[in-house]
Amino acid sequence: MSAAHAPSLPARLGRRLVGLARRSPTMAIGAAIILVFALLAIFHGTVMPHDPVRAYPSEVLKPPSARFWFGTDGNGMDVFSRVIYGSLYAFGIAVPSVAIGLALGVPIGLWTGYKGGLLDETTMRIFDALRVFPIIILALAIVAATGQSLVNVIFVIGLIDAPIFVRVVRAEVLALRSSNFVEAARALGNPTWRILFVHLLPNALRGAIAQTSVRAAWAVRISATLAFLGVGIQQPTPEWGAMIRQGAEFIVTGQWWVAIFPGCALILLVLGFNMFGDGAQDVLDPQRKSAK
Amino acid sequence: MTLPAFLARRLLFSIPLLVGVLFFTFALVRIGGQDPVALLAGPTATVQEIELVRRELGLDQPMAAQFLIYAQKVVSFDLGRSWLSNKPVLSELLDRVPVTFELMFWGVLLGAAIGIPVGLRAALRADGPFDQVSRFLSLLGFSIPTYWLGLVMLFVFFFLLEWAPPGMGRISLIVSPPPRITGSYLVDGLLTANWEAAHSALSQLVLPVVCVAIVASAPIIKQTRAMALEVLGRDYVRLARAAGLPERAVRRIVWRNALVPVVTFIGTEVTGLVGTASLIEYVFAWGGMGQYGLHAITSGDFAVVQGYVLFLALFSVLVFLLVDVVGFLLEPRSGASG
Repeated sequence: MSAAHAPSLPARLGRRLVGLARRSPTMAIGAAIILVFALLAIFHGTVMPHDPVRAYPSEVLKPPSARFWFGTDGNGMDVFSRVIYGSLYAFGIAVPSVAIGLALGVPIGLWTGYKGGLLDETTMRIFDALRVFPIIILALAIVAATGQSLVNVIFVIGLIDAPIFVRVVRAEVLALRSSNFVEAARALGNPTWRILFVHLLPNALRGAIAQTSVRAAWAVRISATLAFLGVGIQQPTPEWGAMIRQGAEFIVTGQWWVAIFPGCALILLVLGFNMFGDGAQDVLDPQRKSAK
Repeated sequence: MTLPAFLARRLLFSIPLLVGVLFFTFALVRIGGQDPVALLAGPTATVQEIELVRRELGLDQPMAAQFLIYAQKVVSFDLGRSWLSNKPVLSELLDRVPVTFELMFWGVLLGAAIGIPVGLRAALRADGPFDQVSRFLSLLGFSIPTYWLGLVMLFVFFFLLEWAPPGMGRISLIVSPPPRITGSYLVDGLLTANWEAAHSALSQLVLPVVCVAIVASAPIIKQTRAMALEVLGRDYVRLARAAGLPERAVRRIVWRNALVPVVTFIGTEVTGLVGTASLIEYVFAWGGMGQYGLHAITSGDFAVVQGYVLFLALFSVLVFLLVDVVGFLLEPRSGASG
């Protein structure tokens, strides 16, 4: 670790990344996909050839062409620009909702795992009870009942994620809580919050980190599902699910491009997050891959 | 522990769960900060109707009393009325159960028929090319939006190839449905020897069933692979290998030992799949419980939403119970510790 002999930071970082990619190609491919979409979302202004909500009345439902790469939709809007703009929605929903899930789930997981007892038991029972609701229906029903807005969609996804983070963090804390370093910290008179956040947190995050990407995949998927059903996000928002909803009308009469392209973008990004998460689980938990 | 004792214990433990479920559906129409009467009676309600609903729900009373009124109603099989159809929610749901069951049954069966063998094979040659491909396909299955898959299927098999009928329900519009016996047009058509109806029902079934199967098989592949890998690492398998048993015999041992957890997994998976399948119902205008529930959600028919969520939750509780009982029967030791 001595800095004197070490190569420059970028070189080390690069070698580290190559090493990671070799250990899990799945993760590397996933990371590449996520990166591409993130770049599209950031630079949407320069990449989009048209305004995503500008309608060309004379160009309704035109098939893919040199001017409209992915064709135009039922309003005469450019599908290609809308697909690019959709990545902004995907990240705009996934990032805050996963952050909410982490912000709620990690502290609760630390606390219940460390304290144990009745509190822990009750929390886990409540989360068990939540499992009886099919998750898609749960999300849909809550968004519908709490008033349909984008902010509500984000909050509901975050709330549904929280128990998952609680579970993984709690499991790791349970394994750590009677280990020597925690006992030592306690014996030195550290307050509980310090043991939780300074001593336990860095050691208990492994599972949560791997889950983050999987949960992001789910957030992108479920928000598109909500939009497809017209719950929370309405047309003509350039969001992938809402675009597929419009395309559903046209696909059985042959205008496939309206629904197919946003669907492909959606699958690709969700797949990217899932691959990254799957690979990260292998890298972070070497025992999992070859359970021999 | 004997089976009756196990059942009694398990049922006793279900009671707080059921109360929790009831509390959740009770809260569902109240968390939004909107007037629950407005949600339940609908936008078309007259002043008298609103007053009636208000009195029925006991909204002039404290929350605890309201909850008791709600619980009492549910226990006496009253899930309220849909303002869209003005029919009792429970009978509307029950009417549609066989419709959804038909789709789920064939879908899960096909999904398991694909998922279990693929998962087993992947585990036997872990990290081989077959494993890599199946792992990728399983990830893809996790990532494809169900409704989009349905739309693509319709585009390819109905519009392009003209192999499948349009996704407009369970039987062709020009074929008269058979008399209702089981609620499944295919089975009823076969029972009444109405081949035309049976054939039409079957051709309507294929695409949605394949969709459900694809969605169902992804987690089954993943789970079967994991279970089989775990079994492969056990001592008895290593002993069997060390003793020189042929690979076929080893495979049989793995298969038999991985099967129980896999079947239990499929049981619990079904409870979540009901939600996913409702999107397939929606795309194919299947007319089952799922489409009914989704339509209620999108049109703000909250008596139905409340009843539908409760109905699905009760179904899950029942499935979890069944899964536990099956698990107990297959491995009585597990009940003693838990």
